[in-house]
Amino acid sequence: MNRATNAAAAPMDDVRPQRSLPAAAWLAWYSLREMIRRRRLVALGLICLLPVLMVLAIRIWFSQAGVTAQMMLASLSHDVFMPFLIPVVALFVGVPAIGEQVDDGTIVFTWTRPVRRRAIYLGRLLAAQAVSALVLCFSLALCFVVMVSQGAGVLTWEFIRLYLQTMLIIVLGVFTYAALFAAMGTYFKKPIPPALMFAVGWENLVTNIPARVQELSLRFHLQNLVTAPAEAPQGLPGLLGALLSTAFHRDPVPKLQSVAVLVGVTLASAALGVWLFRRKEIAK
Amino acid sequence: MKGAGIDSTQARITADRVGKWFGEVIAVNNCTLTVGTGVVGLLGANGAGKSTLFKMLAGLIEPSHGTVRVFGRRLRDDVGWYRRVGFCPESDALPDWMTGREFLELMLRLMGFEKAEINRRVAYWLQRFELESAANRRLGGYSKGMRQKIKLAQAMAHDPDVIFLDEPLNGMDPVSRKQSIDLVRELGEMGRTVLVSSHILPEVESMTSNIILIDRGRVLAEGAVAEIRDKIPEHPTTVALASSAPRALAGFLIGREHVVGVQVDQENRVVVSTDHAVAFYRALPGWLLDNGLVVDEIVTLDDSLEAVFQYLTER
Repeated sequence: MNRATNAAAAPMDDVRPQRSLPAAAWLAWYSLREMIRRRRLVALGLICLLPVLMVLAIRIWFSQAGVTAQMMLASLSHDVFMPFLIPVVALFVGVPAIGEQVDDGTIVFTWTRPVRRRAIYLGRLLAAQAVSALVLCFSLALCFVVMVSQGAGVLTWEFIRLYLQTMLIIVLGVFTYAALFAAMGTYFKKPIPPALMFAVGWENLVTNIPARVQELSLRFHLQNLVTAPAEAPQGLPGLLGALLSTAFHRDPVPKLQSVAVLVGVTLASAALGVWLFRRKEIAK
Repeated sequence: MKGAGIDSTQARITADRVGKWFGEVIAVNNCTLTVGTGVVGLLGANGAGKSTLFKMLAGLIEPSHGTVRVFGRRLRDDVGWYRRVGFCPESDALPDWMTGREFLELMLRLMGFEKAEINRRVAYWLQRFELESAANRRLGGYSKGMRQKIKLAQAMAHDPDVIFLDEPLNGMDPVSRKQSIDLVRELGEMGRTVLVSSHILPEVESMTSNIILIDRGRVLAEGAVAEIRDKIPEHPTTVALASSAPRALAGFLIGREHVVGVQVDQENRVVVSTDHAVAFYRALPGWLLDNGLVVDEIVTLDDSLEAVFQYLTER
């Protein structure tokens, strides 16, 4: 233990904080490993099987209804991923990303290292975003497998492009929601109720208000990014028809504007989260 | 009280009229203290405000008023200074999914050490706390004592100059307790600053005689136990002197400077009450030599940490 034996490699005379990028990367890596071990991820994984079951059902019961793989994909992303799965997964992974460590006291160990608060926060946030994106991409990948099992004809360039585009939109969406929910988790002592109110209340309400008010919801901008398939289905029966017609009717804004809003909200939420985290008191 | 003759150039930890309240509860109230090198015990009953004061000093929480500094810096702002600070929390919370080795590796990695140095230090501290055989087990499976040891290891592994240990011996078996006490003393002798909190008097007494007494959120006294003892005038220090001529000795001591009471007890010892033990001890050899008196044994009856603590905290 004597200092002479340790002095050679010990950066103790240097009192600068660690460089933020490598510190955040290490924290993200360890946090990712921690988050994928959480039991709640199994529950989220099961919920994410919902779109897979829907694709299977459409294949089995509506195989003659003229529903193409593109239509299914657009409908799924618009009516299942965006209003439900993305917010739910982001909520249950994003809210506890930082708040949980503060509450249980384990944040003390990283807090008392020469690491800038922003590196700690962003490392945890990045891990939460990556885990959320992995869960949703896994679900989308399973949907893809079920869709292409219809036959080789499904695998058109148009379909693959739409699939990759959908995946990117979902990743963008979950990054945005996770950043917002992580900031809420940092600020509120009991963050789940306000986060649920936002995801279920605000998003549902505002998205369905016509004219420009709907632009105040994240879901509107996500749905605005979904590319409608070339041929809209006509005269489909019942629920499926209703779902698909909803998917193709909206008051659009330029896609670039929606991307800018989503990226802006992500960055603003992360900045707000860092600001809140720096002021956090580790009382446990 | 000023802490153990520490001037501002030696001070590593300072708190200036620092207070903290949570809602209407005052956890720490107007504390001023200075800590230099060596081991200092922060002593107080459960709920006295030790942990809150610790957290403020270590930059975990912001004081409601006053200022805290470590190396003259606010750790909450100058996070780079955590390179020279180690913190062992009282809380039992650990990242239970990690192994002991991974935990220490991450802690050292965040301190900026290279891989080879991390491996060397991890090996050293695992061995030092006899955790080698549990190194690859998850922290969730560690016993209370092992968890305490891994917390101590992460606080010391980067070789800090200032170490905060909040109730570090909780849950340890007697052997580990002894080893940890020796380690703390060793660190103090090496010139580190170790601020260690406890509500168990013998624990603190075994590590240091330099203490800060805290009660109901206020610092009651700061310094060496004997010095603090001397500053409690309403409770004169009691010293027992064993002599072959107790009555002659008792008669001589009556009326001497700093002697406020003399009696002979059932064991034929002369029991002296003094309002200034240090001065009394200084004067006693001269008095004995000049007057041909002999004292075989001197025992101070109530300058233990427990007595001091009791006197200072009695309501």
